[in-house]
Amino acid sequence: MALTRSALRLFSGRFAQACQVRGYADGSSMSLTFAAPSHVLYNNISVKQVDVPSFSGSFGILPAHVPTLAVLKPGVVTVFENDGSTKKFFVSSGTVTINEDSTVQLLAEEAVPVDTLDISAAKELLAQSQSQLASASTDVAKAEAEISIEVSEALIKACE
Amino acid sequence: MSFWRQAGLNYIQYSAISAKLTRRALKPALRVEALKREAVNAKPTMWKDGKAVAAQKA
Repeated sequence: MALTRSALRLFSGRFAQACQVRGYADGSSMSLTFAAPSHVLYNNISVKQVDVPSFSGSFGILPAHVPTLAVLKPGVVTVFENDGSTKKFFVSSGTVTINEDSTVQLLAEEAVPVDTLDISAAKELLAQSQSQLASASTDVAKAEAEISIEVSEALIKACE
Repeated sequence: MSFWRQAGLNYIQYSAISAKLTRRALKPALRVEALKREAVNAKPTMWKDGKAVAAQKA
């Protein structure tokens, strides 16, 4: 008796209103906005999935993903578009926001297609960062050199 | 805690270094365009007692 009453309560009142208003989050599509300060890559485009590299681990975003805020790590973002094609972009850093209505905002400081990266330039950056670390004297200089190494390694990995 | 935060850097600084390297890893043709984005158009000048102290390097 108590069970049916509480079940009925689930389907009436505020919960039902929320269900009606939810609209977009029907678990079948999500809208991606992916941009860098200099250019927009996707502006509210419906996509199937987005894989992002974040400080809390790399994860894939599907429609109806739990609302999340995460900070990006240098790495590859993979967008799986509705027509089945896959596009990869290297992001230097930024943030990702997943909202309740399944809209995703991926705001990067630099976002470039992976095929625009030059592997020899990336390897050179790694060599430079390593020598930068060797000659670093202060903690800040060492940290900056270590960041450079981390980014260079991510760039090389993205090129392969 | 991340090694850079322990050294006193924040994510904004991390992001700036990361973006700078990403631009330098682009193919030569695109790199030129990207490096223009790095140009800083602000030149700080320190003032003391109503006078500009020797102009700082931009």
